[in-house]
Amino acid sequence: MAGKIGELLLRPDAFFRRLVEEPENLKIPALIVIGGAIIYAVSAYLTSGLTFKIFGNVPEMASMAPILGIFGAVVAFFTFIILFWLIFSGAFYLISMAFSGSGEFKRTLQCSGYGLIPVIIGSLLSLLISLYYIPMIQVPVLTNIQDPAAIEAAIQQLMQDTAFSELRLITSIISIIFLIWSANLWIFGLKHARNLPLKQAAIAVFIPVVVYIIFILYMAVAGIPGMGGT
Amino acid sequence: MKRAILLLSSILALVLLVPGAAAQEPGSDAAAQVTVTSLSLEPGIFFEGDTGIITIEITNNGFESVAIRRATMYDADISVLSSSYDTTTTVGAGNSMQFSFTVKADVLPGIYYPKFSLDFRDAGYLRYPVQLRVENDPLEISILDKPDTFGAGRKDRVDILVGNPRDNPVTGVVVHVSGEGIDATPSSYFIGNLNPDQAQRVSFNITPKQPSVLEFRVDYKNGVNSHATSVAVPIEFGVSKTEANPLLSNIVVDYQDGRYVLTGDIYNAGLEVANSVVLAAGGEAVPVDPYQSYVVGSLEPDDFSSFELTFTAENITEVPIVVSYRDVDGNPFEKTYTVSIPARTSGSTKEPGIALPIIGVIIASAAVIGGAIWYSWKKR
Repeated sequence: MAGKIGELLLRPDAFFRRLVEEPENLKIPALIVIGGAIIYAVSAYLTSGLTFKIFGNVPEMASMAPILGIFGAVVAFFTFIILFWLIFSGAFYLISMAFSGSGEFKRTLQCSGYGLIPVIIGSLLSLLISLYYIPMIQVPVLTNIQDPAAIEAAIQQLMQDTAFSELRLITSIISIIFLIWSANLWIFGLKHARNLPLKQAAIAVFIPVVVYIIFILYMAVAGIPGMGGT
Repeated sequence: MKRAILLLSSILALVLLVPGAAAQEPGSDAAAQVTVTSLSLEPGIFFEGDTGIITIEITNNGFESVAIRRATMYDADISVLSSSYDTTTTVGAGNSMQFSFTVKADVLPGIYYPKFSLDFRDAGYLRYPVQLRVENDPLEISILDKPDTFGAGRKDRVDILVGNPRDNPVTGVVVHVSGEGIDATPSSYFIGNLNPDQAQRVSFNITPKQPSVLEFRVDYKNGVNSHATSVAVPIEFGVSKTEANPLLSNIVVDYQDGRYVLTGDIYNAGLEVANSVVLAAGGEAVPVDPYQSYVVGSLEPDDFSSFELTFTAENITEVPIVVSYRDVDGNPFEKTYTVSIPARTSGSTKEPGIALPIIGVIIASAAVIGGAIWYSWKKR
């Protein structure tokens, strides 16, 4: 298994060439994606915990905080599966259709799933860095939720916290770096899954990836946590 | 002839029936010219038990001197403390003479008539009843104005009215204020003379330290007799229905640069103005610059102001915010609100700048990934 992963990461062309010769099987890609979704969910739970600390002293919100944290984790879990697997695979498949690519969508899903391993490694690294940074984040505390301006000011203060800002920047950089690695794998995966020339496979992969990188950078600047890999 | 004798007898009988009919004796004509011309009582109206002086002046209106053997006063109820005038003396023609008697009214309220008696040496005597009234009506004290409730250390004004319902003036009227733990300004007030049906308004500033009983005592004199009357006002602490009521809301606590920054709004939800409003962090919190305390100033009813406080705190989750203010009279008030603060983490402040190990991890990751990508393209 380790050898296969090593081949996937270092010689993806050979890995996917051999993979497409085998029958389509989504079992392993699904496990990879679920593993990544779990890491993503844990990261989201930790990050949402910061937001709920703001309302920790509001009686109406105190009992709801754990429930909302779990809800955020569940949303993040399915977001990972839908965004990184289904939407990216769908985008690859649709764009490759413009290049007259052939091959089943299931094969594209299979190759995309394998290609998510770098993203999962990046998410794990981001999670570890989050565990280091979160205790240093100073969370403003609200005592009531009657004033929207006060809530906005508190969230703004959280966003301007030095540790939180650095965490957002670091996780965004890590996400982009590992997403580029995944994109590299997806190029070779799409090449074999859709029988495309390497150049056209690269174009089909880079269009959605670049769009997502722009999205990550925008979120890092705008300050919405949880979308940059943590 | 019978008719003339009958007329003479009638005239003689009339002459005999006239009081002080000393005309039959030598000098009786001269004594008949002595009359009481002046009478004074001090005090004009006695209290029960009062001592006073009755002064009687007689005048000889005739053309001859009149010898007086004795002058005295007596009554079954009124005690006459002074002695009689027992020395024989003479009142010259057209002259006056005064006689003073000290009396004590150990009697129930009412009207009494002690009698002045003047015995002539060469004639009969002169009787003169003196009207002496005894009434027990004291000065009246009315509470005109006082606060609904008092507060510890709070200065409130109490107005009283001192009135004289008697028919004679009283003198030396002084109002004294007393009570345990009560600071009064002025401590006493001198009114002086109070004529009948006259009243005097007096104001006192009362600052109680504890629930107590405030006593207003009025000392005065009726003649030479000291009297006092008093009224008690219970001092009970409570919340005034109209007093200023500062409330805090919209509290946000943040930890920045090694200190807590607390921002919020303060509202005056009362019906009176709150002056000199100052906020500060109390308890174990240590105020630090730039906002060790925040001076809001004056807050009108229904008005509000934003404020900001900076402080440091160790190992506590709640900080008392002390709001001190004064009412229009300058009475100090203080209210304390507890505000929760976020627990400080072990990391406390985060110095700006990404840690070198993390930068190293990012660079190493980028290098490894770059190498992997390069390798994947080279070794296809």
